[in-house]
Amino acid sequence: MAKGKVVQVIGTVVDVEFPPGQLPDLYNGLVVKNGDENLVLEVEQHMGNNWVRCLALGPTEGLSRGSTVEDSGTGVSVPVGEATLGRMFNVTGDALDNLGPVESEDRWEIHRPPPSFEDQLSTVELLETGIKVFDLITPFTKGGKIGAFGGAGVGKTVIITELIRNIAAVHKGVSVFAGVGERSREGNDLWHEMQESGVLGSTVMVFGQMNEPPGVRARIALTGLTMAEYFREERGQDVLLFIDNIYRYILAGMEVSALLGRMPSAVGYQPTLATEMGALQERITSTKKGSITSFQAIYVPADDYTDPGIVTTFGHLDAVVALERSLASQGLYPAVDPLASFSRVLEPDIVGEEHYSIARRVIEVLQRYRDLQDIIAILGVEELSEEDKVTVGRARRIQRFLTQPFFVAETFTGIPGKYVDLRETIRGFSEILEGKHDGLPEQAFYMKGSIDEVVQDAEKRASTV
Amino acid sequence: MVSVRQLRRRIRSVENTSKVTNAMQLIAASKMRKAQVAALAGRDYAVKIQEVMADLEAQPRDSDQSHPLLERREVSKIEILHLTPDRGLCGGLHGNLNRSVGQFIVQSRPTSVSVIVAGRKGRDFMVRTGQDVKALFTGIDDQPTMADVLPMSNILLNDFVEGNVDEVYIAFPRFVSTVVQEPVIMRLLPVDPAELPTASKVGYIYEPDAREVLNSLLPRFVEMEVYHAFLELVASEHSARMVAMRNATDAAKDLIDDLTLAMNKVRQESITGELLDMIGGTLALEG
Repeated sequence: MAKGKVVQVIGTVVDVEFPPGQLPDLYNGLVVKNGDENLVLEVEQHMGNNWVRCLALGPTEGLSRGSTVEDSGTGVSVPVGEATLGRMFNVTGDALDNLGPVESEDRWEIHRPPPSFEDQLSTVELLETGIKVFDLITPFTKGGKIGAFGGAGVGKTVIITELIRNIAAVHKGVSVFAGVGERSREGNDLWHEMQESGVLGSTVMVFGQMNEPPGVRARIALTGLTMAEYFREERGQDVLLFIDNIYRYILAGMEVSALLGRMPSAVGYQPTLATEMGALQERITSTKKGSITSFQAIYVPADDYTDPGIVTTFGHLDAVVALERSLASQGLYPAVDPLASFSRVLEPDIVGEEHYSIARRVIEVLQRYRDLQDIIAILGVEELSEEDKVTVGRARRIQRFLTQPFFVAETFTGIPGKYVDLRETIRGFSEILEGKHDGLPEQAFYMKGSIDEVVQDAEKRASTV
Repeated sequence: MVSVRQLRRRIRSVENTSKVTNAMQLIAASKMRKAQVAALAGRDYAVKIQEVMADLEAQPRDSDQSHPLLERREVSKIEILHLTPDRGLCGGLHGNLNRSVGQFIVQSRPTSVSVIVAGRKGRDFMVRTGQDVKALFTGIDDQPTMADVLPMSNILLNDFVEGNVDEVYIAFPRFVSTVVQEPVIMRLLPVDPAELPTASKVGYIYEPDAREVLNSLLPRFVEMEVYHAFLELVASEHSARMVAMRNATDAAKDLIDDLTLAMNKVRQESITGELLDMIGGTLALEG
């Protein structure tokens, strides 16, 4: 293939000159020797004067001008298929788990067109998570896109790992986990956890964590997605795709955007923000052949939900779980704010009349409580009308009943995790709304599974006092 | 994160609330002074009449000629005069009153209890809990006269004398100080002069005789007690309201401070963001 040479290295962006007429295509992978390592560059722009501007998918330290660069002739590709199951990869599809090279018969390029409109699927099937607040307020669908938004340290990763525990563990198909710019320790923890629970054999993991250069973090989600797409398209399977954390993908794009010569846009984001997000999100979808159900953690910088990076992501999702710091600081985990969270499928036609009306009423009660909070702060609870006092009492009980001990958090809380099926969840909340449990102490509702546990706990408290 | 506009709107709404609470505090403060003077002045009479009653009790008399208001019967029915304010926004005052009477009613079971209520707050409570409300008095003036409370005491006296009820209680907030009002439930009928506090023996001479004075004094005594309880209620209400509104105004001020701080932070952040955008854009254009 064509050979060129490095003419300029600007951090993680590398310019390469090729002989006239032999310019590599956009998104083509180029290989350059950097010491003993092979560094892959991805072509991003044709600059004129036979130069191409490339994004390095690896560290560029030590790279020198004049080094020979070879065009691979295709885009960056990664191995796909059964051989990838149970393995762990980096962005270019090399195994990270010291289990030898991956022998797959097929490699797919990581940049692919999204499925066309007519290939997309639009049936709705609910996906039970066993977590009360999700099942009630933000019901998930098979083949849907679910986002968990939250600032630093409110429990996004815990929620993603709990979902892996609850869904992937009982899921019969393939799961793909993409670690994007998060703690590199997580990959290690997850690998061991998966091995223990015996689901490692049906899981593919890809990691481009925070220790990696931005080019890696900007492409690792595509790597994971490509592997997931293979199982959807070629094997017709239902795939679970976990991405932690999609915001790091945006951030990586932002880091290289100016280096690629683009003018920064609002709040310093890349001007191609929506395009980049669309290129990724549009591919995470369900087709007639198979489905990809995706769970994405999304970091919210400075708890600002109006941040352009966050707003751009919102629109792509079917269900949004908004995590709220004020709840987390009260110890209400999972710190989901039911008033800011939503699901496209919370409609009577899909979830059923009973579920819908109870979810609505729960939201109404919590909304009323929030409206009253200023009055309570100024005048005190005594001045509320009797009705409002009852509402406040129920809202506080609902808030506590929305908490739930997680299996993956057992080591922190010391409380064994609980799986609550949807029917139990609906029964519990409908009983609270009816006022059946107005007399039980609020604390009895905290970190419980079903409503029966609450009643038992309240009885135990009553008998010990 | 909330926007500057949302925060500004909330601050304005809290400010308006605090204006109202501040005005109410001032009004309550001026009413409170009058009411406190009235209640404290009334106490002298209440104490004096109790002393005289106690003294009369000590006088020798024929046991068979006791007054109907002194008659002790087996208790099968109780009546409570429940004194509460008409209006809220006085902190925990009516809540405490209602709670103590509610507990009293529960404790009196199985003896049936009928209630005579003064004040809307008490009525709401009694109606909600499904009590037997016999009579209701609302809209009584802030400076009650004897004529305002006579209908209440008349009902009590009649019910007792006719044997409809065997004991009569009165529940009201005793005014202890501006910040402390304690709910009191005390027995009004039958009167037991022996329970009343005695003063030092003065050696009254009764004309025409002790029994007759006692007989005419007893109904007055009951009326006086009710009237005095009402004065205590009014004093307590305004004191409680003054304190509650002062706390509310303070709380509103704190809330405004917090919200203002939050708003300034958000505002500053957005300004910084815009500056960065402009500088970044300019540099990118130049570079």
